[in-house]
Amino acid sequence: MVFSSLPFLFGYLPLTLLAYFITPLRWRNAVLLVVSLIFYGWGEPVYITIMFLSTLIDYTHGILVEKYRDNDKKARRFVAQSVIFNLLLLGFFKYGTFLADNLYLLTGIQIPESVQLLGLTIPLRNVPLPIGISFYTFQTMSYTIDVYRKDAPVQRNMVDFGAFVTMFPQLIAGPIVQYKTVAAELVRRVHSSENFALGARRFCVGLAKKVLLANAIGALWEDCLAAQGAGELTVLGGWMGLFAFGFQIYFDFSGYSDMAIGLGRIFGFRFNENFDYPYLAASVTEFWRRWHMSLTTWFREYLYIPLGGNRGGTVKTLRNIFIVWFCTGFWHGASWNFILWGLYFAVWLVLEKYVFRSVLARTPGWIKHTYTILVVFVGWGIFAMEDLSVCGGYLRACFGGAPLWRAADLYTLHSYAITFLALILASTTLGRRGWERLPRRAAAVATPVLMLASLLLCTAYLVDGSYNPFLYFRF
Amino acid sequence: MTKAYSRFLTALFCLFLGGLMVWQVLLPDRERSDVENRTLAQWPEFSWESLKDGSYTAAVEEYFADQFPLRDAWTGLKARTEQLIGKTEFHGVYLCGDTLISKVDTPDEELVTNNLSYITRLAEKTDVPVYLGFIPSAAEVWRDKLPAGAENWDQTAFLDRAAEETGLPTVDFAGALTAHADEPIFYRTDHHWTSLGAFYGANAVLSALGRPTLDRADFTPEVVSDDFNGTLYSTSGIHWLTPDEMEYWVEEDGISVTSWRTGSPELAALYERSYLDKKDKYSSFLGGNQPLCVLKNEDNPDGGKILLVRDSYSDSLAPFLAQSFSEVHLLDLRYYRAPVAQYAAENGIDEIVVLYSVPNFITDRNLVLLTQ
Repeated sequence: MVFSSLPFLFGYLPLTLLAYFITPLRWRNAVLLVVSLIFYGWGEPVYITIMFLSTLIDYTHGILVEKYRDNDKKARRFVAQSVIFNLLLLGFFKYGTFLADNLYLLTGIQIPESVQLLGLTIPLRNVPLPIGISFYTFQTMSYTIDVYRKDAPVQRNMVDFGAFVTMFPQLIAGPIVQYKTVAAELVRRVHSSENFALGARRFCVGLAKKVLLANAIGALWEDCLAAQGAGELTVLGGWMGLFAFGFQIYFDFSGYSDMAIGLGRIFGFRFNENFDYPYLAASVTEFWRRWHMSLTTWFREYLYIPLGGNRGGTVKTLRNIFIVWFCTGFWHGASWNFILWGLYFAVWLVLEKYVFRSVLARTPGWIKHTYTILVVFVGWGIFAMEDLSVCGGYLRACFGGAPLWRAADLYTLHSYAITFLALILASTTLGRRGWERLPRRAAAVATPVLMLASLLLCTAYLVDGSYNPFLYFRF
Repeated sequence: MTKAYSRFLTALFCLFLGGLMVWQVLLPDRERSDVENRTLAQWPEFSWESLKDGSYTAAVEEYFADQFPLRDAWTGLKARTEQLIGKTEFHGVYLCGDTLISKVDTPDEELVTNNLSYITRLAEKTDVPVYLGFIPSAAEVWRDKLPAGAENWDQTAFLDRAAEETGLPTVDFAGALTAHADEPIFYRTDHHWTSLGAFYGANAVLSALGRPTLDRADFTPEVVSDDFNGTLYSTSGIHWLTPDEMEYWVEEDGISVTSWRTGSPELAALYERSYLDKKDKYSSFLGGNQPLCVLKNEDNPDGGKILLVRDSYSDSLAPFLAQSFSEVHLLDLRYYRAPVAQYAAENGIDEIVVLYSVPNFITDRNLVLLTQ
């Protein structure tokens, strides 16, 4: 189930809120666990088992690490076991087909489609991806590591731990919530009408970002990609497409994070922020401090620093940067273009660290912003097109390998002008600053009006999205 | 935030979500939607098997969307918002002032080539002369009304190509309609031509067959509805335009209509007026879709027989043609599965016109039946 759907908004969510708040405090984690499993099982009933397995393994490994606290060798072995298990899960479900395909291309060894084991047919290739597996495996991995590092207390209550792993607000699209950041709230948190109101407000903001902004511009990207396929892409069309995709992914993802943070707040949790106006960044380095922060933090804490970070000399630092960005790219999807996308950023980050640093310091702000936006949005091209030959053709068109524009582009530009303007403004802090300057009284009136407007319009767009008229059109 | 204010916001949020949920539960489920002209999804029956393969939950989501309270109002609100932010295309329909025009997408090249070749094969199979009758849609005839730069497949180029590839004589609908492009020849909210458009179309057919044309002064149009919201109204979600007027031009006296709806001949009428009280008013012409329909003009026994292999545009065209011919046979390949050439031979047909609107012809997948 996704948040921006009618069954979630007008079925699951009201019932969940009702069940949660009529339950006495001490049973609320159990309610959260149950409703989260229903949420997860809605689209993937079979994969609930993986969820159970993952929860069980990390729960026991946390306890084992704590138990052998005095025997470092053993404790480390349990940490390693947990990490390996999670990576295996991820490797099998997310990367299995990719690895098998490339193994075949390299060596000619063909992994069978499925094997028979104990009378069960176990598929090996083309296994459907369990939703959210990239997020929850990272969350549970960090738990065991944090217990080992004494950054987080061990959790002995299975229900509380289960509620953490499965918690539906952040289950399928993040933010990646580290156990240590919610450990205290799992046991004791504040349920107040203020938390509820702030959470609901945040949820409405996120819903509008997803449904009204991201979905609205997503169609344009599809059109531009289709134009590329038909050989009709122009320079103008190419850039419109890249910007459309860049805005779509930002508002889709940050909108989802807003909804997650808002829902968490309703239940009394404070999740960390995931985005900080990334398109305002003045360098690629800064962009990555503002984009999907929970992921970059995770990789820094659990990969980059353990590898030695930047403390081992230039060569080691370079190696670490490339490893981390290879993984960051690969995390986004099992395909070469994502790896390329990660390495693309590694190159820019290294350049900024070692070559551009002094130049950038002397460059006027607007040039730095333009440069960052260009690098990032070209990056989205690599990200969006899994077929590298399509991607190459598309980017060639953007950089002059096509006519400048055609009549249809102007129509498109005209149709999307207001949408683009809204997207640009929404990417800046303008709205927030304006809101902060609003007199208290005006804000108090505007809040419910805007919340209601968001809910009404999003409902209209969602109902219309399913609008599927079968007309006597053909005859 | 004060406690009272927080409670107010909380209540607002919960009442909106919960309120609509309760409304949906209490609202009796609808069987079908007249606006969309289709049956609506019902609550699915539960089984472990359907839960496991995901079809149960998918069906529930469909149920939610189909049975949502005030469904048409929500889609209308969305269209209004889109208009406000400068959009002119709504689900493949262009909003051009007070007129809706359906966008024509580039068709599947192979399908178009095949469809044209099927007509050539029919012409080879039968001794009856075969004419091409392609009606360009409003997107072509009213090209000037479209938003500047709006993508629109070139139907004129297709008409030239069709004539060339088949080598068959053609009915010049494009010329006839373009000459009257400033008149209401298409509905503003529906993709069909109006009775006026069909009148010009009928004269184009008669000219092509070398017959005297009809005189407009001989008809007294009867306005039968001023409340027609057609297919484009439904597809686009644009519900705020003035509805179309619908006219009947040809008088029913002297024309007998036989319908083969059930496989056997039944007496029918030129106009099925009961449709005028429904959403789907265009179906009042000859009563809508049917495999085979024959119009006989009893006052004109020597007028000859014409066979139209056709789409729904012919429903409003046929009454005009019945003025000139003794028999007009309408054959719909979607429902009529017998060989066309044989039908023409058995019924003493004098001329065959393959008569489609261009958007229908380039997407139709039943024309292969022509070659039987």
